Amino acid sequence: MAAEPTREWGDEKLKSDDVPKKDLIKFIQDNASHSFLAEQKLLGNIKNVAKTAKKEHLIVAYNQLFESKRFKGTEVEEVTQEVKAVKIEEKLKETKTDIVDEGPPKFTKTVLKKGDKSNFPKKGETVSCWYTGTLEDGTVFDTNIPTGARKKKQAKPLSFKVGMGKVIRGWDEGLLTMSKGETARLEIESEWAYGKKGLPDSKIPPNAKLIFEVELVSVD
Amino acid sequence: MALEQFSDVVQRCQAIQDGNFSSADFDLFQTVGQTCIEQGDSAQVLSIVIDEKNKNIVRCMGWNLLEPLVKVLLKKEDKNLPHCHAILTHLLEVCSPKELLVGLLEQIEQLDSGVIAETIILLLKPLQTVLLKLGRKKASSVGMALSTLLSQMVRLPVPLSKEQEEDDVFGLCRCCVELLGFVSPFVEEIKADARDSHGMSRENELRVEILKFCMKSLCEPLLEVQLKDADTLEKSPLRDFATGILVILNSIGESLPNLLGHSILRKREVPGFLEEEVRYPKESLASMAHLLFVQHIAMDIFPAVLSPVFVMQCNMEYIEVLLSSTEESRLQKGLELYEKTLVRLENSSLPVDLLDLKTFFSVPQHVIKVMTLSPVQNLRTKGLSVFQLSIDKLNTEAKYKFFRCMLKTSGHAGVEGYIIKNIKNQTDFALKPGNGNEWFLGKHLLPLLQQVLCLPQGPETDLLHNLDRIMESLNLLRYLLIRDKEWENETGIWTELYKIEDNYLKPLRTALNMSRAHYEAELKRNKENTTGSKSPVCTVSLGSEKIPHMTPEMQTQVLQSALFTFDLIESVLARIEEIAEAKGRL
Repeated sequence: MAAEPTREWGDEKLKSDDVPKKDLIKFIQDNASHSFLAEQKLLGNIKNVAKTAKKEHLIVAYNQLFESKRFKGTEVEEVTQEVKAVKIEEKLKETKTDIVDEGPPKFTKTVLKKGDKSNFPKKGETVSCWYTGTLEDGTVFDTNIPTGARKKKQAKPLSFKVGMGKVIRGWDEGLLTMSKGETARLEIESEWAYGKKGLPDSKIPPNAKLIFEVELVSVD
Repeated sequence: MALEQFSDVVQRCQAIQDGNFSSADFDLFQTVGQTCIEQGDSAQVLSIVIDEKNKNIVRCMGWNLLEPLVKVLLKKEDKNLPHCHAILTHLLEVCSPKELLVGLLEQIEQLDSGVIAETIILLLKPLQTVLLKLGRKKASSVGMALSTLLSQMVRLPVPLSKEQEEDDVFGLCRCCVELLGFVSPFVEEIKADARDSHGMSRENELRVEILKFCMKSLCEPLLEVQLKDADTLEKSPLRDFATGILVILNSIGESLPNLLGHSILRKREVPGFLEEEVRYPKESLASMAHLLFVQHIAMDIFPAVLSPVFVMQCNMEYIEVLLSSTEESRLQKGLELYEKTLVRLENSSLPVDLLDLKTFFSVPQHVIKVMTLSPVQNLRTKGLSVFQLSIDKLNTEAKYKFFRCMLKTSGHAGVEGYIIKNIKNQTDFALKPGNGNEWFLGKHLLPLLQQVLCLPQGPETDLLHNLDRIMESLNLLRYLLIRDKEWENETGIWTELYKIEDNYLKPLRTALNMSRAHYEAELKRNKENTTGSKSPVCTVSLGSEKIPHMTPEMQTQVLQSALFTFDLIESVLARIEEIAEAKGRL
């Protein structure tokens, strides 16, 4: 078992600006047992904890840690789901945790315009979007954005239930990572698009990588 | 003279106040006016009709002149045409739109088949003018007009070949094209309403009527039509009509993907639920699916992001509708749609839970019916190829489930034989390195083999009737014994062999011996009978014709070929026993 960590900072030092919140949090997270962190509400991404925890509380926690000696390795560590999923962030959404044997996602997303970052669609919800689809060589094979004189009021964005397999996989997975108002560029490998077959009646050849510019208009 | 009488009645009526014309006045005006027009005095009638003094009379009674006017206009005699056209135009301006509508529709409702196209084309513009005059209340009238027009148009023969479409002898193509022009202002009105009220109202009555019209057109005439592609026929009015209908649907807020998914997305809390079913008849949607996916009509307004598996689920409903028909053209369309939908899928991509959906069972049943019972060779051949394609798209577990199901339910030895051949192919695939799966090897394969390697009626099974099935099953067994080494026994066949011997091979031997003895006896009796002449015991009639009796020579041939067949079965059986014995297992 590792030796007990040394207490670097005294009370004076802690209260001053010399020890920033983030350093304090990092120390406690590195050294305290999981159950201690859970009780003190110090689990998760350091940045987020820093937003929610006051410096006074952190100092108290720091002192309590040394008094109770509840360091890592002194209690049975339980790896729980809580540790993994503290807050649903965009980053977490992109790495799908429930696909076991499929490897990395077969699409990449570049955000062109940020969304509201709070309204993310869930599986089964109806989303509406404007989109343009091009092949790698730039050929536009599909779009629902009206061009020319036709006003946008007349055309309607494409609506469908996301995450239900109604659209190509690249769209199902990609749209779940977008928030309302976001415009993104999705580059989808053929395996999550139309694969070896392509779409004979559209202009999509076999094994085509598809590039979509998608604007997520609404989420119901 | 009719003309004098006409002037008289008009003059008399001029004096009557407030349009209080008697019914006698009406009748006289009509009868006499009709005679004048038919006699060729239309110029004079025109001058009377446009006279300001007679405005009231014309407004009330004028529409009764529609019938003779139409008759004359259809005759296309130069002399009278301009006058009659002028009378008609004037009537359209002056008379009540409601009465004109009734009058015009009356002219269309009872047409002789020879004049349908001409009359419709003549009256479309006047009808449109009248309907546009009805303002906001026009919806039900538009519906009535469209319904009347379509019911006459469907009486016209549908052109089948490219030449027939070009010649358009009966005028259906021209009517279709003109009809699109006819509905265009109504569609624009619906779009304008949507703009003004920030969205398409589902309850907009005019929209509902246009929707009904589109749905009806999709069924008749479009479901009957055989569209030609652009390479075969560059300018095709029927193709334009089909495209026009789909574009209209899209413009009035019925998005094509939503229509496609209509049959399977039933979760709607729409009041008047039954109304919904009526508004979207499955046959019409099936026609739409065929236009989209087989003829590629309006594909440029159909989003290219739907997943092929979802499209498959939607289309299965429509394939079922088409394949439930007994008409050759619908069966053909059903098979085409099935094929085009399957081709978009990757092989082995359909998961097993799809087989729980009703259509994924009923459609193959329909295909089997076509494959085995259709009198049309093309359909049988196409049915078979689509059947195999549908198997190829199932994933391994789904294939397994499908084979077991088909063996249980098909009741047709040829189909069973075909399925057994597929099982052999799947097992062969599974035995290749890296392809092992739990469905066509080991513990799941054995129950499947038990289904395959059995005689449906034990030793009394009719071997000839079940020949396809028996031969394929013996081929499968022989293949397994050769391919799967006993020390590997990946398929489990070696441990099962003794059971197979008891349950299948022994009864089969018995059946062979019995059949062979029977047929040899028949053959002997037949040879003895060629010398004498015996009247046959029964006759066979088909329809009202008696089928000629088989000559003794033909009978001999049949019996001989039966014996050859038994030899064939015997030889495979012997080979199997040879292999098994060589490995010291039997």
